[in-house]
Amino acid sequence: MPQKNAPPKKRGTVKIMEERCKGCWYCVNYCPTKVLVVSPRLNSKGYHPPELKEEPPDKVCIACHLCELFCPDFALVVEELK
Amino acid sequence: MISAGKKSTMELLREEVESLLRIDRLPHVWCPGCGIGITLNAFLRALIRAKIDPNKTVVVSGIGCTGRAAGYVNMDSFHTTHGRAIPFAVGIKFARPELNVVVFSGDGDLFAIGGNHFVNAARRNHDILVIAVNNFTYGMTGGQHGPTTPTGAYTTTTPYGNPDRPFNIPHLAISLGAPYVARWTTYHLMQLQNSIYTALHRKGFRVIEVISQCPTVYGRRNEMKSPLEMMEYFRKFSVRKDDATFDEMELTYNGRIVVGVFRDVQGIPTYEERYNDIIRRAQK
Repeated sequence: MPQKNAPPKKRGTVKIMEERCKGCWYCVNYCPTKVLVVSPRLNSKGYHPPELKEEPPDKVCIACHLCELFCPDFALVVEELK
Repeated sequence: MISAGKKSTMELLREEVESLLRIDRLPHVWCPGCGIGITLNAFLRALIRAKIDPNKTVVVSGIGCTGRAAGYVNMDSFHTTHGRAIPFAVGIKFARPELNVVVFSGDGDLFAIGGNHFVNAARRNHDILVIAVNNFTYGMTGGQHGPTTPTGAYTTTTPYGNPDRPFNIPHLAISLGAPYVARWTTYHLMQLQNSIYTALHRKGFRVIEVISQCPTVYGRRNEMKSPLEMMEYFRKFSVRKDDATFDEMELTYNGRIVVGVFRDVQGIPTYEERYNDIIRRAQK
């Protein structure tokens, strides 16, 4: 049986194309580990893009690719860490 | 599926989605949180997974918010006149039967202005895939009520509630004998993608209705002020039921949305097949 608080095996990182973001924040809301947060920065259109904020060892991107599917603006790319 | 040395399947899929988009035209015109982008993403992923040659695929769309989708795909695409997406698609299929023709259009375009074309193309069973993005309203012109607006909904032209009944699109398509009829919301990401994937392998007039959110002109007037609230509405109120009856399929104002694959039959001859048969018999 795996240890209860074992760090997730699959890890990833999210590449955010900020200029494409329109600030709907589906990614922030539906991220299963809640690693995406609303950034205080603004992009050139005046929207707040998301930002990856990991808190290892538990709160990390697990490369589930859900934000990629939810993003209506094709602004997110999930890269798996090997 | 696709396997490569370093990159995973999902990473490769994302790269190919990027190659099928006209990235020089992004960010697109759709509002923050619009479901059309999610539907387009699902369609492109299904197309890549189905290993259909993009050079043998034509995306046809009409006028409206969803009509802009044809301008963002890096394939042969047609942005046709209002309501006439299906006649153009039928013409393309007749001239070049080897092409995969996909109609990607909105509810106002397909069911109000082009309602007659939808009905007759479904009756004749033309070999095209119709992805109908239903956002309950005319988004681009400012939120007027349309034929899919639920009874009682508030729009710019119905400030005291809509008195009309909405179209029951899956039931309409089933009654006309369409071989593949499904309905999903934009919350059902994988189900929608898999459904488009299945439909791309079927023959005949395939209809997939996608309930999409329009937070800017519809949700704002109907107690769903942000894109997230509309998405939460889809999450909480959608029920999967493949053998839904007529009453269950009907959309009600802020009520239950029954989703699923309502009809999936094979072996119904398409119009093109029957037409070729007629030509063969006439030339005997």
